[in-house]
Amino acid sequence: MTTAIATDIDLRNVVVEFTSPDGENNRVLNGIDLDVPAGQFIALVGKSGCGKTTLLNAIAALVEPASGSITVCGANPRAARKNLGFMPARDALLPWRSALGNVEYGLELRGVGKQERRVISRKWLDAVRLSSAEKLWPWQLSQGMRQRVALARTWALDPEILLMDEPFAALDVTTRVAVQEEFLRLWQSERRKTVVFVTHDLGEAIGLADRVVLLADGDVLYDVDVGIERPRDLRDIAADPRFQEIHHRLRSAI
Amino acid sequence: MSEVLKVDVGTAIDEIAPGSRARQQGRADRRRTVFVRCLQLGILIGWFALWQLTAELQILDPVLSKSPVQAWEWFVQAVESGELWSNTMATMTAVLISWVLASVVGAVFGLALGLLPTVERVIAPFLDAANAMPRIALAPLFIVAFGIGITAKVALACTLVFFIVMSGARAGVRSVDQEWLRMSAVMGASKLQVFVKILFPVATPAIFAALRLGLIYALLGVVGSELISAKDGLGQLISKYSSLFQMEAVYAILILLSLGAVLLNLLMLAAEQWLLRWQAPSDM
Repeated sequence: MTTAIATDIDLRNVVVEFTSPDGENNRVLNGIDLDVPAGQFIALVGKSGCGKTTLLNAIAALVEPASGSITVCGANPRAARKNLGFMPARDALLPWRSALGNVEYGLELRGVGKQERRVISRKWLDAVRLSSAEKLWPWQLSQGMRQRVALARTWALDPEILLMDEPFAALDVTTRVAVQEEFLRLWQSERRKTVVFVTHDLGEAIGLADRVVLLADGDVLYDVDVGIERPRDLRDIAADPRFQEIHHRLRSAI
Repeated sequence: MSEVLKVDVGTAIDEIAPGSRARQQGRADRRRTVFVRCLQLGILIGWFALWQLTAELQILDPVLSKSPVQAWEWFVQAVESGELWSNTMATMTAVLISWVLASVVGAVFGLALGLLPTVERVIAPFLDAANAMPRIALAPLFIVAFGIGITAKVALACTLVFFIVMSGARAGVRSVDQEWLRMSAVMGASKLQVFVKILFPVATPAIFAALRLGLIYALLGVVGSELISAKDGLGQLISKYSSLFQMEAVYAILILLSLGAVLLNLLMLAAEQWLLRWQAPSDM
């Protein structure tokens, strides 16, 4: 007897259209079907304009589909927002709050009490190794530090699903690998959250995710399980034959 | 793995701790500041000396040629008689009331307009027209309506300060980063929470600059109204002594007013420095 795995995100024939400034109807998502089981790390890749960010926004209820249905944790996306964590492309730290204040922001919105907020925020800031920076203003932090504060802020809310929109794109190569490893460490350290990770970097997608979905012109072109064992060494992963196989396949398809 | 992260934190620490080079910079800056202050003091003394000279030589009309010494003498006697104090209080009370009142209303209005673009489009031409009119022309109207007490002064000053702070708030709200709004939306923030926790802090620097300007204009409005007609206040004193041709009194009061304005401006700057200390320095 098999037990059904709770599907965290379920997209059925999702169509999203935008009206461009000159009045034309632009179909960004062309009837997408996608099932993301709970605890899976899925990467959405494709070149700019393929619809990957729109798909993410649709899951977050920032965009309404013209037709089709989206179910998140068994409910419609807007109702499921309390289970979502969102990491945008730029860290979106609030400049008038200290690092600690930024981590507390989501908890404040939820009405969590001051003492409890402090404790949780300090814990997560410590988890990303930035305890010493808690009183600093965002302008005083390096890009890598800012992204880690953003990670702490997202994790402090303990969401079931993480939506990430090219979160490490703005980092230089060395910092990026360090932050990616930090992120994986956090992800693996407890009950695994579902992650939907948008990126244009194929290597990042294959290195981090369990499954890679390639989008092109609003359609799913490829859906492949990565199948590389964890824990992974992100510095050496490019040498893995399975990595190279998937990388080659995806690159020729783009 | 950890070496890279340590380097990251390490560089950050270097970025925030002042190095020895920073300290040398500090010394050079201080020397320059002292030099600047000396020059400024020199100009001030020179200006007073020139004034004293032109007064003694009666270069201008004898009515106008009153020296700093005479102004000082009048000042001392006005302080002793209490006349200066009571009038200064009258003016400053009106300034404070009008400034606070008009700033609060202006800020809320400006924030609201920034959030409701359609409403803004509709109202904008009317606001621009009202702002373009020289409000000082309203002073006689207010005096007829409210009498020569404090209300007329406050009314006039409010009409000046309101538009300034409203514009500041309106502009400030526009500089909000869409990412913050998106992120707050996904985090489930209510409209009120977005207003208080994002829009208000975003608009604060612009509002503060507007507040500083507004204070100067509040002073202008109150003194202006007093010049036209009022029962007390520094503007009223200027008017009275001008008609009596006691120009030394007028000069003394003018200097007092400008000192007052400078002091207020400095106070606001200090408050701004502290409140906005989260801003990156402009040379970064």
